[in-house]
Amino acid sequence: MRKMKFRMAVAWFALGMVALLAAVSTDALAQTPAVDPAAVQMLKRMTDFLDGLQQFSVNTHSMIEELHVSGHRVDRDLAASVTVKRPNKLLAVRTGGLMDQRFFYDGRTLTLYNSTEKVYATKEAPATIEKMIDFARETIGILLPSADLLYRNAFPLLMQDVTLGVVVGKTVVGGVKYDHLLFSRPGVDFQVWVAEGKQPWPARYIVTETGTPALLSITTVLRDWNQAPAVDDARFNFVPPKGAQAISFMPLETTGGSNR
Amino acid sequence: MKTTGRIAGAVIILFLLFIADLPNLSEKLVPEAQAFRGRGAAFVVGAAVGSAGSSAAAASASASQQQAAAAQYQAAAAQQDAAAAQQQAAIEREKAAAAQQQAALAQQQAALAQQPAVASGRALPLGTVVSALPGGCVSTPSGGVNYYYCGGNFYQAVYQGSTLVYVTTKPK
Repeated sequence: MRKMKFRMAVAWFALGMVALLAAVSTDALAQTPAVDPAAVQMLKRMTDFLDGLQQFSVNTHSMIEELHVSGHRVDRDLAASVTVKRPNKLLAVRTGGLMDQRFFYDGRTLTLYNSTEKVYATKEAPATIEKMIDFARETIGILLPSADLLYRNAFPLLMQDVTLGVVVGKTVVGGVKYDHLLFSRPGVDFQVWVAEGKQPWPARYIVTETGTPALLSITTVLRDWNQAPAVDDARFNFVPPKGAQAISFMPLETTGGSNR
Repeated sequence: MKTTGRIAGAVIILFLLFIADLPNLSEKLVPEAQAFRGRGAAFVVGAAVGSAGSSAAAASASASQQQAAAAQYQAAAAQQDAAAAQQQAAIEREKAAAAQQQAALAQQQAALAQQPAVASGRALPLGTVVSALPGGCVSTPSGGVNYYYCGGNFYQAVYQGSTLVYVTTKPK
């Protein structure tokens, strides 16, 4: 009987300890800041590095997930080679088997030229890359690949409304070590892989729409970062080739389906 | 025996404690998902346009598909009608009941590919957007603009986002 009581005591003690532990661990979780300063610091290291570059080029490959009415998901490719010369020159080239399309921005105008169909459209544009990116997106619905990362001073934009920031961990891709970061704000999550070392290039950037159960993402792989591309001004000027036909951009207000 | 029962009870209580903790955990890791707002929304809208531009203008990613997508969100009834029409078109063309069982996606694409051919048969309302010109269009330059004439319609090339599309128009 006595032995029984002892066992009971041990059992209740164990129960009490574990309950206490559970309570403590819950508290610890509650006290952990949702936005980890280490994650923020790693993100800032990357944006500071990109901010410091006067020119660069990068090859981007995006997979864009779309949900069709049939319930099937279709992933679309968008590959481009982007060359930036700050503060006001940008060239984005999309080539491939299906078409050859080039986007020129020379600080005064932006031009989209499709050499397969020999047509181009030109529009006056704001005086800096950042303003031009906003302008292109808002007025004619053109999105530049990885525009979020092309902005100078991207840090406050990326951190805006962020409610969660964590260092997911380290990973190795192609022999290079990366810090894998996750940030969240209402409706959108983004993950970014930042290279370790003196040149913290972003290697992958995934944006996920969290407002719907489908959790659709745009996954962009960024390769071949180059700090010294050819950036003579002529590269960014569009001169209509002989026989090319000028067309126009459809204003976004009347562009069906793209403003929802 | 009684002790064993109590220990088992304790373990169950513990287990429940952990389960009770789980919802809290997920709340903390996944912030409440609201509708898109601010920059995120702009990014995704732009991306949708960019994505359509990712394939050739003549390929299946088309303005009409974008519009279909808009219709899906805006009017469920219209969408159902459109889907039914697409199904019907597919069935007629293939003359096979099996077409009904095809993946809905395949049906969509078939219907899209077919659209210009359908369009060539009759006059379309001005401002109709198609992803590719119908066959047999004749280039007819006028006032510095190149129009394409076919099936009783004049088309004009235009960029919708970064996608090249053709819009029915009236030459000046």
